[in-house]
This record gives sequence, structure tokens and C-alpha cells, in this order.
Amino acid sequence: MSLPKVEFVEAMGSVVRDCPGTKHHICCGYKTIDLIEGCPLSCSYCIMQAYLNAPHIKATEDVSHILDQVDQAIDQEPRHIVRFGTGELSDSLALDRRLDLNRHLVDYFGRKRKALLELKSKWASIDHLASSLNPYTVISFSVSPERLIQAEEKRTSPLHKRLKAAKMTQDLGSFVGIHLDPVVIYDGFEKDYRYLIDDIGRILNPEKIIWISLGLLRFPPKLYDHFLEKERKNLLYGEFIRGEDGKYRYIKNERIRVYRSLYKQLKALHNNLFIYLCMERSDVWREVTGIDVHDNEALITLFDRRIRDLYGGGL
Amino acid sequence: MITRIPLRQINMRDIRFCLSYPLHDEKLLASIGKLGIIEPIILLEPAPFTVVTGFKRLVAAKRLGLKEVPAVTQALSEKQALLLAVHDNMHRGLNIVEKAHTIERMVTQGFSRDEFDTVMGLFSLSPHEKVSTQLISIASSENFLKDFIIGQGLSLKNIEYLLRLSKDERKGIIKAFTSMRTTESYIREILEMLLLMKIKTGRFPYRTVGRAESAGELRLKLKKRLYPGLLSLEKKLEKEKAALGLPPAIDIKVDPFFEKEYIDITIRVKSGQEAEGLLQKLNEVLKKGHIGNILELTKGRIR
Repeated sequence: MSLPKVEFVEAMGSVVRDCPGTKHHICCGYKTIDLIEGCPLSCSYCIMQAYLNAPHIKATEDVSHILDQVDQAIDQEPRHIVRFGTGELSDSLALDRRLDLNRHLVDYFGRKRKALLELKSKWASIDHLASSLNPYTVISFSVSPERLIQAEEKRTSPLHKRLKAAKMTQDLGSFVGIHLDPVVIYDGFEKDYRYLIDDIGRILNPEKIIWISLGLLRFPPKLYDHFLEKERKNLLYGEFIRGEDGKYRYIKNERIRVYRSLYKQLKALHNNLFIYLCMERSDVWREVTGIDVHDNEALITLFDRRIRDLYGGGL
Repeated sequence: MITRIPLRQINMRDIRFCLSYPLHDEKLLASIGKLGIIEPIILLEPAPFTVVTGFKRLVAAKRLGLKEVPAVTQALSEKQALLLAVHDNMHRGLNIVEKAHTIERMVTQGFSRDEFDTVMGLFSLSPHEKVSTQLISIASSENFLKDFIIGQGLSLKNIEYLLRLSKDERKGIIKAFTSMRTTESYIREILEMLLLMKIKTGRFPYRTVGRAESAGELRLKLKKRLYPGLLSLEKKLEKEKAALGLPPAIDIKVDPFFEKEYIDITIRVKSGQEAEGLLQKLNEVLKKGHIGNILELTKGRIR
């Protein structure tokens, strides 16, 4: 990967925010830390393709400002175990070997022991963090079938490297998260995802997977236009409708069918896996999992329970 | 100084400064026929003269068989001449094709970025590179596209979609649109579906486009091919609604994309007695389970 230009900027205002969930869809209540804005990986389906066309990547070095805000956010939420992530406006690991920004956060969460940090990535590079890792940081990898990676995530690490890095994280004593998001419906996707799930089960210890998210491809109208312009055949293969939040999504019965199949295959790896749907409607949740998740609070409670099950009273 | 210049001394094939489109203007023809050319034409020296402003007037003069026209000849640089043409035309409000011609000519003559942005600003256009690239494409496109753009008052979005098609594909769809009654939003929806179909299948549906008799028919045919799932749900909904046999005063509205978990049932009444009767009817329908069937469609269980 060629090294992009990074501009260091002063942290201004709120850098810790609620994940921008959308109307009528269940959000997991995740909090984002805007440590870096802009991503060198340039996945073709990424929201940043439509919105962020800044010439270079902006990074915040002002750690104390960020940690003050994280502290406040934890204190303001005594009822729940707050989960933070840096992967909303960038990839958490793609530039970290060079910038070394995550270490401060990892250390902070290790000392605090009250909340979790999730570093979400498609870039298999965690060696530089190995000596700092502690159970309060979850290293997560977004995974896709290799065919999709080669077509739509060209600058990212190949699947086997991501899974190898996830395995290394588990071996170092940390939990990993796995995100099948976006799941893309394209010609032959079912077989590819079956192999992907087989690989996850073969390489990783399911007991050390803290959560798996499933999220079928969805995008705002501006990105739809971008896909048409760039003729993204894979991304436009399925049948899309406009959701209540204005975003394009696959038609509901197709979403349910695909989610059900993936959910079943993942559950077959290990029945205790915690699998959640990212930004889905409550009726889709019910149809796919049989669980009644009627609002954000219900999903956040499921997360709390999952974390308490794994960490005991440690959190 | 205004002089009378013979038409044979004017080189009308040199269109470096021509911004006007279309050049044929029936109202202007009638006016010149009656009153002659009032505003002199500006020509670039030396002879044979190049036209700076007045292309439409010259075309009309030629059609009317005039032998000479009132003109002012000037010695200007190419850039000065183009700026003069731009400012001379600005007051009348240029259409999008004329704006495109202006930008294309400015690019050809190497105007600076600042000069370029100023003119884009005068045209109320964003100085974004994507917009200027699109304008240049319009300027060098076929006349049948330019005519359609002006005739329909097409938006930049729809022009962009048309430009993404090949020349033959454009010709096909413009021919179809021209024979139909369409609106801007219909055109957009159809063009979007055509582009999507091309990406999905690698082919442009010439036959479907050519055979459609109305925009509605074309839209439906494309929708059938691109959204079979949605269409199937729509058909099932219509069947269920028909089975209900509800009076027109009771309406059942379902989210057009079958996303929402709920449906809206509206009852329109003029009296309490009427309300009672309609509620009774609704109750009968509920007991038969038909409403439940409609709700099933919104739950994603039916394909």
C-alpha cells in the first residue's frame, strides 16, 4: 500500500459521538471516536467514496482531549457497558503501524476496565500492538469472500491474512470481533460466503469471538449514483428498494433469506456465538433470529449480557 | 463604425465564437423579415470576416436572401473576441447547450482557471470539474441530443445519464421519449433503470425501448426485469385487496417497498351511520383473515 499524506489536526469539539444510527433500524449504541478521518483502503462500497473527498487523511494526536471525552461518555452511561470504536470514519489499523495512535487508547481502556474499545479493520497488521493488547480492547476484522475482496476492497489485506491476524489476537489473549458487513449479493455469493464461514470456523476459536455482525449492503442515494457511474456490477446485482431512512437496501424478503442462511451457518460453528444484525428492522431481527429486539435499548442489553458472560464481574 | 458588409465576405463556417444553439429562430426570422437587422453584427478583421456575435441573425439573413448586413468590424485577439461574444449573449439568458458551448470554447482557447470560474459563476453553475467536463461533453455531442436537452429543458442529472449511454443507445431512447409524453422525473427513472440494466446484463434493451408506446409502459417493462421481487409483491397485494371487496370509502395503504411492518387503513365517512356501516364491513373482512394476508406481505415472509 502506498503511503497517503496524513495531516495532523487539533481535536475540535466532540470527537466522541454516538454511532449515527438511522430511523426505524435497530442500532447497537456503539460510540465512535474520530481519531482519523479518511481511509487509505478506498473500498468501492464505502460511504466515504461519496462524501469525503478531502485530499488527505486527517489524524488527531491530541490524546488527552480524546480521553477526557471518552471518560465523560463512560460516566454518563452507568447502566450499560459502553463500547467505543475508531472505525467509523477510517480503518482502525490501516495506518496505525505508522501513526501509532491506538496504543494510547488501548492502554487507557486497559487501565479503566469499565468499557471496551473495538479496533475494526480490513488491514491485517497488529504486531505493533501485540505488547500493549489487553482484554479491554477487541480487535475486529471485517471479512468478505476473497472474490469480493479482489473486486471491491482492492487495497485491503487478503482474507487469509485477516483471519491469521485475528487468530494471533486470540492467541495473545484478547477477544476478536468479526464483521460480515457489507454482505453483498452477487452472482455466486452464497457459495463464497459458505466457504468464508467455513474458514472462520476452521481458523478461529469460536469461544474467543466476542461478537459477529451481519449487515447486508446498504447505502445512501449519492452512493447509488456513484455505483451507477462506476458500473459496479457486483454491488448493483441484487434487487434494491429505498428503506424508510432513505438508504438503498435489498428487498426485505431477500434480506431475511440471506440473513437466515448466514445466521444458521454461523450458529452451526458454535451455538453460543453472539450474532447481531447491524442496522436492521425489528421484524427482520425476529424473522432471522427469533429474538424480540424491538428497540436500541433491547440490543444494547443483549450486548451487556454478552460482555458480562465473557468478562464476569470484571466490567 | 457601422458599415454594410456583403454576406459573401463573411466566413460563416468559422464557429470559434459561436455560442448560440439552435441557430434557426423562427421569431427572429419573422422580425428581420419585417424590420431588417437592427443590432449590427460584430465581425473580426481582416476579411473574409469571422463572426464574433450575430450567428442567428446571419442565418436568418441568409434564409431571407439578404445580400448584406449591418456590421461593426474590429481587430481583437481570439480571447477578447470570445469574451465579447460571451458578454453580448449573457443578457438574454443562455440555455444549457449554449453554456456548454461557451465553456468548451474557453477551454479550447486556454482561458485561465479564474476566468473560467468567473464565467461558471455567471452561469450559476458550480465550478466543479465534473460539471465543466459534462458541459464539454454536451458541447461536442450530437445535435439530436442538444435538441432534446433544450426541448425538454432537461436537468444536468438527466443529461449526465444520457451521456453515459452510447450514441446509438441515446438515439434509441431519445426517439422513444420524443414520441411519448414524459416528465423530468419519469425520464430520470427510466434512464436510471436503463443504466442499471446495462450494468447488470451488459446489454441495452433496444427492443423494449423501441416498442414501448408510453413512458408508463416502458417504465413497467423495465421494472419487471429489474425488480421482479417487488413486482411480485405488488401483484399479490392487488390480488388480496381485490379479494377483500371493500367499498371505495375504505382504503388500505401499504408501504410501496413493503418495508414498514404496519399498514394504514383509512375510512372516509360523512356521517356516524356511514362510519358504523363501514366499520362493520371492516370487521367482517378482519374475521375472514384477509388483512392478515396483507400484513404477511410486509413481514418479508412471502416472495
